[in-house]
Amino acid sequence: MNLIFDILTTAAILYIVAAGLLLVYGVMKIINFAHGAFLTIGAYASLVASQVGLPPVAGFLVALIAGALFGLVIERFVLRPLYSRPLDAILATWGLAIVIGQVITLVFGREVQFVPSPIHGTIALLGTEYSAYRLVLILIALIVGGALAILLTRTRVGLVTRAVILNEQLAQGLGIHAQFVRFLTFALGAGIASLAGALITPLSAVDPNMGVPWLINAFMLVMVSGVSMTSLLIATLVFGSAQVIISSYFSPILGGMAIAVLAAITLRIWPKGFSRD
Amino acid sequence: MIKDPAIHRQLMWLILPALALVLLAPLVLDTYTINILIRALFFAMLALTVDVLWGYTGYLTFGQSAFFGAGAYAAGLVFTHLGFGPGYFLLAAVLAVVAALMIGSITGWLSFYHGSTPLYASVISLVLPIVLTQVLFSGGTFTGSSSGLTGYEAPDLDLETWFRIVGAALVVLTAFTCIFLRSDGGRILSAIRDNETRCSYLGIDISRYKIYLLVATGIVASLAGFGYASFSGVVAPELAGFVFGTEVIIWVALGGRGTIMGPVLGAVLIDWSSAYLSGNLPYVWKLFLGIAFVLVIVLLPKGLLPAILKWFNRGEGKSTQPNTLKLVQADTTSMTGDDKFVAIELRGVAKSFGSLNVLSDITFSARAGELVSLIGPNGAGKTTLMRCISDGAERGGGTIHIQGQDIKLAPPHQCVQLGLGRKFQTATVFDSLTVAECLRIARTRIETPSFTTRSNELRLPSYALEVLHATELDKKLNVVASTLSHGEKQALELAMVLALEPRVVLLDEPTAGLSQHERSLIGRILVDLTSRFGLCLLLVEHDLDFVREISSRIVVLHQGRLVMEGTVREVVDSDLVKTIYSGSLGHA
Repeated sequence: MNLIFDILTTAAILYIVAAGLLLVYGVMKIINFAHGAFLTIGAYASLVASQVGLPPVAGFLVALIAGALFGLVIERFVLRPLYSRPLDAILATWGLAIVIGQVITLVFGREVQFVPSPIHGTIALLGTEYSAYRLVLILIALIVGGALAILLTRTRVGLVTRAVILNEQLAQGLGIHAQFVRFLTFALGAGIASLAGALITPLSAVDPNMGVPWLINAFMLVMVSGVSMTSLLIATLVFGSAQVIISSYFSPILGGMAIAVLAAITLRIWPKGFSRD
Repeated sequence: MIKDPAIHRQLMWLILPALALVLLAPLVLDTYTINILIRALFFAMLALTVDVLWGYTGYLTFGQSAFFGAGAYAAGLVFTHLGFGPGYFLLAAVLAVVAALMIGSITGWLSFYHGSTPLYASVISLVLPIVLTQVLFSGGTFTGSSSGLTGYEAPDLDLETWFRIVGAALVVLTAFTCIFLRSDGGRILSAIRDNETRCSYLGIDISRYKIYLLVATGIVASLAGFGYASFSGVVAPELAGFVFGTEVIIWVALGGRGTIMGPVLGAVLIDWSSAYLSGNLPYVWKLFLGIAFVLVIVLLPKGLLPAILKWFNRGEGKSTQPNTLKLVQADTTSMTGDDKFVAIELRGVAKSFGSLNVLSDITFSARAGELVSLIGPNGAGKTTLMRCISDGAERGGGTIHIQGQDIKLAPPHQCVQLGLGRKFQTATVFDSLTVAECLRIARTRIETPSFTTRSNELRLPSYALEVLHATELDKKLNVVASTLSHGEKQALELAMVLALEPRVVLLDEPTAGLSQHERSLIGRILVDLTSRFGLCLLLVEHDLDFVREISSRIVVLHQGRLVMEGTVREVVDSDLVKTIYSGSLGHA
């Protein structure tokens, strides 16, 4: 039973972390290599919030807003000139990640720091005691996924965004301000990434380089999912369970690279991954 | 080996001073600097391989560090566990090469295949070093795990000798690379970077080229790592990691991708400065590099070296063709005397996207010497049909025979080998190459170009020469393709396709965007191709007057079905065609 909870919570965490990246990739067709840096920004934002004395939920909000603001600035000045050069956009965002990482190191120092968990202790569920916070994350993942789904499918803004995802030139021809859509989407994606960073800090620790391993995994999951939130859900479950099972029964090191390797092989055999178009 | 005296001279001007510098520098530099520089020289070799892959071939790779690390660990492992001596040194070198061969082949197979995207290839190149570092971490005491291996016995040379050997090796490597890249064969890399599709449709097996290239550069990188490990006496998993891999990308981007000299100098200078500056201002230096990197990518994508050269007004320094380039008529295979030979045959070809049937049950054939025009309103499926004929994987059903051979699921470059040529609607040439270089790439299937020299003869079949002559492109052989006019680009592409000596040519709207004069020129050329040279031409066209003038037969497509086939008069005057095009019979 513990194993099942491990799988579900791992999938939930991966989902929250990857959701922002998927949104950005879907709308802008570029992989934001600064995603890990946004995770880190969110983590440090919640660290600052907790040090100032704000309650944890406020810390999450602070992280969301901080990420969105950074996203707005970065989209305007770094990404906009690179629309026609997607591979260069990967490089520029990676450069940004380095810059952000170094600035954080200069401001906060290299040491590992800790943020207290908003929910302590365990819950007795279905026969075992399991970390309450991790279980809550499953709920949060469902809320985030659900909110994004509703936003995309049931609102006018979402409809416009989906139009841009499917055929940007056509959308522009119909009078949709695609640039503004990209602008907002990147900010939203960055905000969600920062929120994810804040959410995962109670589980591990905060240090300037914490975002990098998450970036790789999120990146591979997005590649395998195509442009669909549902595919992402399936992908996180499938690959998340692979990671957990391999880590538990074979070796944690193999488990650590399970997602990346399995996703790469999956894409080689089925280039469309899990998406169904 | 180098026939061209101009290149000979250029290289001598670069190589000899560089070698002199390498020989004399240790006399004036202090030990610390020499130490740093030797490491930087090894890294520069790695940067060179990344530039060949990324700057010249367009393959963004984060994974060259994996090869470097593999070579380094080959040395480290052999020297630590087996011992040191001339035999072991050789063994380690061989292991480094073999490891690179295996890693390169597997990575190449994963990354380069028909239908792979550049993004996917970069993804794989990212996963590779991650996997390798994890493997090294899990190696326990055998690989030294996260601490790596140190203290093994290594070649006992003094610092100055190391510097001279490594420096000379770098100079020689750079020289050979430049020779290769300027050769006729080396231009294929730029062609691949500019336009992969066009390369496929010229019969070049891109995947195979890229895999060979990856293995070759991987071996070079691995040997550089081997040298590094032999010199420094330390190997750590970070050498194979992706953070290091991205650092190399940064050096290449800052130095100037696609210039070879830029990345080499960039790697040396940045690594040298890092050694001094990161000691004094640890995080600020890295921050500065990161900012510089982002600025260069956004504002100066070509890198710093080209910008500096431009500032000194030296231009690109791009090599031009030897001025003595001659056009020579090639002896083409004699045209088949059998007029009844079926050049292209389609049976029941179908294609659908989901529930939308784009093509249903297309059956027709065309013979040598025929000029068949494919007409129909927009959306009738004409371009889709062209795609299905030229790419075996496209169609959903039916069979296609080219020159009597079933194309089955063959990718474009194999269809081209069956005697097919395809001219695209938008002029698809190699923008950064000259007219002559484009044509030479087009000849690759028939005459494999040299990988060390540039020939001063360009052999083309007579009909290709006629196209060049009629459009006066034969006077513009040294002009870069991106500067040609639209009509000239179309003519160049046609000449390139004809240079393949195809028996069947597919042309997608050859008159699109041409002036009246150019249109009649093209029309004459196309008729000539069929009547004098016995080619079979299949045209997709909207200009019905053009079609009426030149076609021997017309095929009409409507909503994915073949609705009519016949001579020009039968089709053009038919009620059916009038209805299809104008919606009703009432119009004049």
